Amino acid sequence: MKNYVKLFLVTAMAVMLVALTACSSNNGGSDNAANATNSADTADTANAGGEADAGDAANAPSDEPKPELKRLGIWQNEDYNTYPVAKMLEEKTGYKVKYDMLPQDKYAEKQNLIMSSGEPYDLVTTFSDMAIYSDYAQKGALVDLLPLIDKYGPNIKTAISQQSMDALKVDGKLYAIPTAVTYEVNNSILIRTDWLDKLGLQMPTTTDELTAVLKAFKDKDPGGNGDQDVPLTIRGDLPMLDNIVGAFGMPNTWNDVDGQLVPRVLDPAYKDYITYMSDLYKQGLLDKEFVVNKDATAKEKFSSGKAGAIIVHWADIPTISDAITKSVPDAKFAFVPALKGPAGKAGFAANAGFDRLTFIPKASKHPEDAIKWINASLDPETFKDLAIGEEGKHYTEENGAYMPILPIFNDERNLANNYMAGTDETNYPIYWQARVHKSPVMFEAFDFLNNKQPAEVKIQNKLGLAPYMPEYAKNNQQLETMVGDYTIKLIAGAESLSGLEAFQAKYKAAGEEASAKEINAWYATTTK
Amino acid sequence: MRGKKIGDYALDSVIYICLTLMGLATLLPFANVLSKSISEEWAIVAGKVGIIPVGFQLDTMRFVVTSSQFLHALFISALVAVIGTLASLLVTAMTAYPLSKRELPGTGALIVLFIFTMMFNGGIIPNYLLIRQLDLINNLGSLILPALVSVFNMLVVKSYFESLPPSLEESAKLEGARNYTILFRIILPLSGPVLATIGLFYAVYYWNDYFNPMLYINSSSLKPLQLYLQDIVMNADTSSALSADDLMNVPAEGVRSATVIASTIPILLVYPFLQKYFIKGVLIGSVKG
Amino acid sequence: MSKAEMTIQARPAAAAKTGGRRWKLVRGNLDMYALLLPGLVFLLLFKYTPMYGILIAFQDFNIFAGIKGSEWVGLEQFRKLIHSDEFLQVLFNTLLISLYKIVILFPIPIVLALFLNEVRRMFFKRTIQTIIYLPHFLSWVIISGLFINILSPSGGLVNEVIRSLGGQPVSFLTENDWFRSVVVFTAGWKEIGWNAIVFIAAIAGIDQEQYEAAAIDGAGRIRQMISISLPGMLPTIMLMFILRIGSLLEAGTEQILTMYNPLVYDSGDVIGTFVYRMGLGQQDYSFSTAVGLFNSAVGFLLIVIGNMLSRKFLQRSIW
Repeated sequence: MKNYVKLFLVTAMAVMLVALTACSSNNGGSDNAANATNSADTADTANAGGEADAGDAANAPSDEPKPELKRLGIWQNEDYNTYPVAKMLEEKTGYKVKYDMLPQDKYAEKQNLIMSSGEPYDLVTTFSDMAIYSDYAQKGALVDLLPLIDKYGPNIKTAISQQSMDALKVDGKLYAIPTAVTYEVNNSILIRTDWLDKLGLQMPTTTDELTAVLKAFKDKDPGGNGDQDVPLTIRGDLPMLDNIVGAFGMPNTWNDVDGQLVPRVLDPAYKDYITYMSDLYKQGLLDKEFVVNKDATAKEKFSSGKAGAIIVHWADIPTISDAITKSVPDAKFAFVPALKGPAGKAGFAANAGFDRLTFIPKASKHPEDAIKWINASLDPETFKDLAIGEEGKHYTEENGAYMPILPIFNDERNLANNYMAGTDETNYPIYWQARVHKSPVMFEAFDFLNNKQPAEVKIQNKLGLAPYMPEYAKNNQQLETMVGDYTIKLIAGAESLSGLEAFQAKYKAAGEEASAKEINAWYATTTK
Repeated sequence: MRGKKIGDYALDSVIYICLTLMGLATLLPFANVLSKSISEEWAIVAGKVGIIPVGFQLDTMRFVVTSSQFLHALFISALVAVIGTLASLLVTAMTAYPLSKRELPGTGALIVLFIFTMMFNGGIIPNYLLIRQLDLINNLGSLILPALVSVFNMLVVKSYFESLPPSLEESAKLEGARNYTILFRIILPLSGPVLATIGLFYAVYYWNDYFNPMLYINSSSLKPLQLYLQDIVMNADTSSALSADDLMNVPAEGVRSATVIASTIPILLVYPFLQKYFIKGVLIGSVKG
Repeated sequence: MSKAEMTIQARPAAAAKTGGRRWKLVRGNLDMYALLLPGLVFLLLFKYTPMYGILIAFQDFNIFAGIKGSEWVGLEQFRKLIHSDEFLQVLFNTLLISLYKIVILFPIPIVLALFLNEVRRMFFKRTIQTIIYLPHFLSWVIISGLFINILSPSGGLVNEVIRSLGGQPVSFLTENDWFRSVVVFTAGWKEIGWNAIVFIAAIAGIDQEQYEAAAIDGAGRIRQMISISLPGMLPTIMLMFILRIGSLLEAGTEQILTMYNPLVYDSGDVIGTFVYRMGLGQQDYSFSTAVGLFNSAVGFLLIVIGNMLSRKFLQRSIW
């Protein structure tokens, strides 16, 4: 007993002492450590990337050993280092890469700490958040990529469009390589077509028809749930219902109203939308409990056969389809096409912009090798292998469409998108559809929304490719939260439209006015 | 005599009924997660799983507990929890003992100094910079050292030490024993319940902590279980911000439930193991005599 | 008995000490101070070294500029908090929910510990002890999801019971009249078993001879509960209570964030959730530090006052 206690006593002391010495050897300006480390590292690396060493670097013998690169990526459910794509890339690019990943929860917090304290990552690939990106760029945390691309990036130049590059420029310099979004339409109303058939109804094409269908769902009980039927269910945090907002001419958060971009709550159609939605709610056609619905709650109601319609992303279809066909074997469902509103408008919000951004921090020890790595990964053959693997092993080609070979495609390429630093923008949208083909029901839904719907109902989000705008970037999130909360209250009858003007005034003062000014100054230049 | 027996009987009934009801109510959530972890995915998505599994299967559980990431994280968590708890217990007891002696000059001020840190802290940025300067980023030390002494636990131990009769120490002092001998030979052996309590608190803290690893651990080979779990569980609620590719790769609800169960059970087992310290009170008299 | 004696004894001794006596005490107990060393090193290194971060509250902090390079704004961040329209309501909600939680939930674990101490069937006792602390290990995300189902007005367990008793279903999570009650109830339900542990241990620490003596004197079990177990737990109860009121302004941010919705902001929005909503995704370090500082200052003040009152009226204190 005595020895045991002494052992611990000694250990504890030793640990403390080690901690102490480590501290004292390092104690120069603790509060400014971020800067100190940053500038020390960047002094070398910035030069290395600059003009002075250009000649040397380009002429360096090719057998010079390539350094190991450190890369930071977003969270994924498997270790980056052991996933098969890592090995493939190592073979193709000749670079060994050590991968770390950000957490799923609070990723931005961690990312800021890493970036500001000068952790020497060579490549950082993260969610496309213009506010964060431009903050990093303006505070000098990122390497200017244009000179490097000119020297080492022929593949980058062909792969990434000028338009994408322009959208990411901050004060004329480019600090990130984007991964562009590969498809346009996300969500629509998924409706039980077997209920429609049972009641002898057609697929609705206007908002009025939708009301009538939902009413029939409620009154005639096609699901046999008695008074437990939920005609339309949604998740509580998304009160702007895709497809329905489009029918009122407001598919995106900011829409063109007479040549100016206007946010939804200031849009003249907002009142009509609220009137329509609160009417659905009052009649019991919209889930009475939508406010408390989590994503899973809404899906539960639809999958168990209680709800007749739900708003979902097409990528959710495989899960829902599996659940509903097992719990209600006769169930059939389909997406509702773009509905026409009272004023004849219709539309889906169409994605534009970026999914991920890849940048090289100033703290990187090998910025040139990092850009060379990106360039190598964008070599057309390498990129194809990265995106969909090898023909005959991971995919087959049928009339220009790529079909995945399962399950190896799932095992070896499912997470490939997390390894991309930029994409072959012309070919990737085509390769990418192989991923959607993993599930036939999903592909059908995707195909219906993205390929079968007429082009005029896919209304592009104008702000998707907008350049960095400080006021908008700063206020956007809070404004969205304000409007979301307010809209939920209006629909559920906890607020009435008589207070709309007061809310609008508050909303403008909370940063909308400043943002709108900035946005429309830019918008005017694009429409000229 | 008869009245007393009836009173005892009534007391027992009240106690047993209350406790049984409470037990049933608190069992509910765990039973729900457990049954989700052994049900088929479609039944979970359709909301058919309550406390009885639907479509019993163990594949999900097997998939979760045999994944190398899970096993590795489990090992890291166990390592941190064991070393952390032992180190914390030792330093906490060593700190609490002097502070329990009110007559010692300076103890009052020191206690206030400790309590001050329960309320005030520098926030994550200075803490991160400190850990970085100590070169503890990506080092398991960063998960133990900053949490070595919990002021709360220290106060619990201190309060317990204060409740021990002073006569215990006085006789030892007369025999010329040093203070640390008294602490380790006389006081601690009598502190079973309180050491078991804060040992449990420390073990649970180290096991459940995901915030420090989230900040200080970058390398996937050093990630503890809770970080792994948090990432998987949080996935569900952030899906609105994800792109289609991410949506297609969201872990299934069954996998999430199975991960919750598999990563919680090891720490749950600690309590029953410690219960013997709670059940029988100490017999101070036997030591005194 | 013994501990009450001891605290009272210690005080006059400390009060009567003269400079010389003080010094003698220090010199005679140098090994005592040596025991404190690891704890003190820890405290200074890991708790006080980073304390300069509090300054962020008085700045418009930019993480890249660091504290030296960020702009000083004085009390601007506090003004921002206190002057926002909703602040009074939010503060009111925070205090109300917190007070409910203290008044209703603080005593239950004590009663629970007393009850468990009376259980003589070991298997039952162990099983119940183990079960009631289970919910502590599940995160609020999971628990809230479950309660949303249980409390649903259509088909939720609770409302099915209400309906079968002939009542009208209640929308617990969207009605301001109910929301706070739900928050208090679920918080209690999750943490009662866990919070009881420290009291269970306190009872286990009571000298068994006291019970034996009381039994010989003919004291019944209820009597023993009140005159032995409860006083024996008192130091722990006081300690827990004083520390509990220190977190008065933290009414359960994580819990409420996962349970509430815009319809119940009026009753459920507390300081923590309000700050989260306002600062969402904006990386506003200064604002959140300022709010944290406000909470800490109030909490610390309450602890100091609590300790003072306890010393005055109960002759018992943390320091």
